[in-house]
Formats: sequence, structure tokens, C-alpha cells
Amino acid sequence: MSDALRPRLTTLAAALALLLLAAPFVGLALATDWRHFGFAQGDGGAVAVSLGLSLLALGLIVALGTPLAWWLARHRVRGQWLVDALLLLALLTPPLAMGLLLATVYGPYGPAGQLLERAGLLLTNSAPAFVMAQFYAALPYYVLAARAAFEGVPRELEQIALTLGHSPARCFFRVSLPLARLGLAAAVALAWVRALGEFGVVLIVAYYPQGIPVKLWTNLQDLGLPAVYPLLWVFFLVALPLPLALGLAVRRRLA
Amino acid sequence: MRVDYRIERPVMLSASFEVGGFTVLLGTSGEGKTLLLRAIAGLLPARGEPFDGLPPQRRAVGYLPQGHALFPHLNAWQNVAFALRGPRRRDEAVAWLERVGLATLAERRPAQLSGGQQQRVALARALARKPQLLLLDEPTSALDPATRDDVLAELIAEVHAAGIPALAVSHDPALAAVADRLVLMHDRRIVQVGAPAEVHARPASGAVARLLGLRNVQRGRIVGAPGTQRLLWPEAGASLPVDTALVDGTEVDWHIAPEAVEWHDAATATADAVAASVELRQVGAHGHGAGLRCGQARLWAALPPEGAMHGRVRLPTSSIRCWPV
Repeated sequence: MSDALRPRLTTLAAALALLLLAAPFVGLALATDWRHFGFAQGDGGAVAVSLGLSLLALGLIVALGTPLAWWLARHRVRGQWLVDALLLLALLTPPLAMGLLLATVYGPYGPAGQLLERAGLLLTNSAPAFVMAQFYAALPYYVLAARAAFEGVPRELEQIALTLGHSPARCFFRVSLPLARLGLAAAVALAWVRALGEFGVVLIVAYYPQGIPVKLWTNLQDLGLPAVYPLLWVFFLVALPLPLALGLAVRRRLA
Repeated sequence: MRVDYRIERPVMLSASFEVGGFTVLLGTSGEGKTLLLRAIAGLLPARGEPFDGLPPQRRAVGYLPQGHALFPHLNAWQNVAFALRGPRRRDEAVAWLERVGLATLAERRPAQLSGGQQQRVALARALARKPQLLLLDEPTSALDPATRDDVLAELIAEVHAAGIPALAVSHDPALAAVADRLVLMHDRRIVQVGAPAEVHARPASGAVARLLGLRNVQRGRIVGAPGTQRLLWPEAGASLPVDTALVDGTEVDWHIAPEAVEWHDAATATADAVAASVELRQVGAHGHGAGLRCGQARLWAALPPEGAMHGRVRLPTSSIRCWPV
């Protein structure tokens, strides 16, 4: 193959990949009945549930996942492969199975569920259950991406910050965090997309309150395909801005 | 200031010596020089004085690692201000930059500065910490050869002006030449300490001579009793008359200064002269010389006459210095 042909082939392959990616959404645009565009009952509530509770789940994921990711990036301990295996397990478990596992542990008959219920925290078909489902679905993705981001920060810079008289916590906030920010932004975007779009785990442990993914399912069951499309458009509108803005910011920084 | 440290991991190392003015710890790569600096800075588990048992943030050291380790997300004044507290941090940082001649570049990011400028920002940052001891890791390694001497001169002038003892570790003999005090490390032990002139005049061993960058440090063996001794030079397949107090059979490192090596035509050479051929001629701003091939050995000497390629070299007995190995 001549050298002149190679770039053209690459371009063609890239164009084909883009075309394949775009196909379902072109299909959506064509299938949507724009003249009778309207929402089913409860769609508004589903948007509010998805947006509000996903933000809460994202906050929890960042708050707990960031220290874990930093610890994993900076410490080597005996048996660390167990932690790696645990993260991979959480990642590998099919969403439906993860939902069942959560129900087993946190459900009304589960050991943790009974204890928490006595403390007034019901983790089945409740807002906390919804947040928990999203937390479990997105946390491993966030931790793995954030760990890679922290691993990219030269350790020497953190150590120099210590020698300049700063406490480890201050070094973390003034050196590690700013230097890992691009990778962390990508991790946040990934976690957001995973949490918001989660269906399998949520379906099992938090059928109610209904977020967008479950509402799409019930719309399909009760009203048919035309009732799915408008809510799907709103889903895109709600889900896209955060990862898109973060991605653009990262690429602008890298440029 | 006395430095006395013992490191157990990742390698065993103990070092005890006095740091005064601009002190250079000279040793080859792999001796553990960087480990020693990191131990003093508290970045490596070790016991010793000063600062024993203190966490790194409570040790009053200014540490300049190789490559300077400036924070890439901060500009020059923010890097310096990192070591400062209080509302006047910016003014103080700019004053420190002014002191190292970089106030005009205060807004630049590290990536926009040359190697020498980065080093001065790192020095300003380390000094702003108000340390009791400055630690410099290979301060000449990241410098452009053309400007290295000037940058080095400025660095040392700043260290002297600050009045803080500084310990620089290096394998660079050029840095050793400008030290106030030299500490030489070989096989993870301190083998000689002194002023550069003293150490250069009397290297304690062949290893020290090599560290100091002396050319023509060779391996050999003494044969015969004092008075009729000869030095076997196996690499060249030659033996040379020497005069030492060493006993027969002693393995030695020996040295002869290149300028003491005498070039002779084959016709005028004495019996003790060694066959040599010219391998390369070196003509530079800092002196001339030639690399000669004597058997398997390389011998550095003054430039032979133009056009001479093969001849013999005489190594005067009085110019040969031997150290038992």
C-alpha cells in the first residue's frame, strides 16, 4: 500500500466510526414525532429525580472516591492486589447482578439493611436507595480514572511541597489536586455519565423514585415507543452539558 | 554544621562530615548521594543529625532536587511564595526573585524559563524557606555547557551571600573545583574530606583521583624491593621504573599527569619508553592534549608534534604516584 493511501484510509475509517456512532441518534431524530412532541405524565418528576439525586451521588463519589484514588496512587502495601481485584469486581459485575447483591445486603432482609432501617434509613425504593445504586454503579469508574490522574502527578513535587513547610493535607490541596485536575475532570465526567444513565442497579433497588432511565422503561411498557423519545431528548439535554464542558476544558488546557 | 546520617534502606549508607560554606559531596552514580540528601530532608526513613525524627515539613532545609522541581501550575513568583506565609507573600516572593536577578520574569511559568533561570527560581524558593541548610542535588546536571560556569558562579555567590551552609552532591569534578570544602564518597563511605586544593594535591586513593576527574589513573602491580622497583602495567604490556615504599606484589592504582608524559620518536626513545600511537588530538578553549593508545590502555598526554602518529612515551619515575588498592 502506498504512503499516500494510508492517511486517506485512516480518515475513511474514522469517518465510518463516527457514522456508526451517529446512526442511532439520527434514527432518533427521524423517529421522533416533532409535530406532536409531548411528555408523558411523570416525565418532569423523573428529570428532577435524576438530576437532583445524581448530583448528590456524584458529590458522594467525589468525596469518598478521591481519597481512595489518592491512597491507591501513592501507597504500595502488601495484598494491594486484593484492592485492585475488588475494584475490578465492582466494575465487572453486571448491573442487574449488582442490584441483586445490594438488595441482598441493604434490602429489608439484608444484614446492613435491617440495621439501617432501625436507624431510619430505608435503602429500598427510596431516594437514599437511588443514590446508593448510582454510587455503586459509578464509584469504581471514578476511582480508577482518578487514580490514574494522581499517578500522573510527579511525587517529587509533593515531596518538595513538604520540604517547603506545608502539611501533607495542604500539599494535597495545593499541589496534588491542581496537578491532577485534568484527569480528575475526566473522572468526574465519567462518573456522572455512569450514574445518570444507570438502569440495571437502580431497577432492582430503587424502582421508585423513578429517574429518567427507569421512566424510559415504564413509558415503553405503558405507552409505547413514541413516549420514550421526548424524555430521551430531555435526558441528553440534562446529561450532556457537564461532561461536554469538562471535556472541552481539559482539551483547551492540553492544547 | 555536622551531618551524621545512617540509612538502612534501600541501601546501607552512613556518612558523617562537616558542612561549611559551599560543600560538595563528590561520588559516582549509584553511591547513594541523592539518598543522603533525601534522608536529611526527611523524605526517606533514616536516623541522624541534624533534624533527627522530624517530619519533612518541620526540617529547616532548602532542598533543590535535580531538575529543580518547580510547580508547573504556578508562575515564578507563586513558586517562591509557596514557601512563604502571610498577606505580603507576593512582595516577599518578588524580592527574593529580585535577589537572584529574575524579578522581571516573575509572571512566567517554569516551562517558559531556561534551565539556569529555573535553578535560580528554585534557589529563591529554597532560600525563602529560611533554611538552616541548603541541599543541592547535582546542581550542574541540567545546565547548558555554554552557560554552566556563569550559572554556577551566580549560584555559589548567592549561597555565600545568604550565609547558609550548603551541601551539593555531584559526580561533576568541575563542581568540586569551586567548592569551599570537598567530601569524597566511594563504596558508600566517606573516604576523604578537605579543601579542594588539599584534596587535589594529595588524593587519598586512586578512586578519589578518578572522582576528581584526573586523567591517567591506571591499574598496576609493584614488583621488586624498594630501590629497584618496577611498576607492571598489564594493559599496556609494559613495566616502568618507580620509587615507592610499597612491598613487592602490591596491587596499585597509579597516576601520571598528562603534561608529565614525554613523547619521543622511536629513534630517540630510551629502553623504558612505551610504544604509543596517537588516537585523537584534542584542541579546545581550555587546553590541548592527545589520547594515546598504549597496548590496550589509553594514556593522555600533551600534544605530540604535528603529523606524529606512532612513537614512544617515557613516564618519569618522579611523576608517577601510586596508591595501594
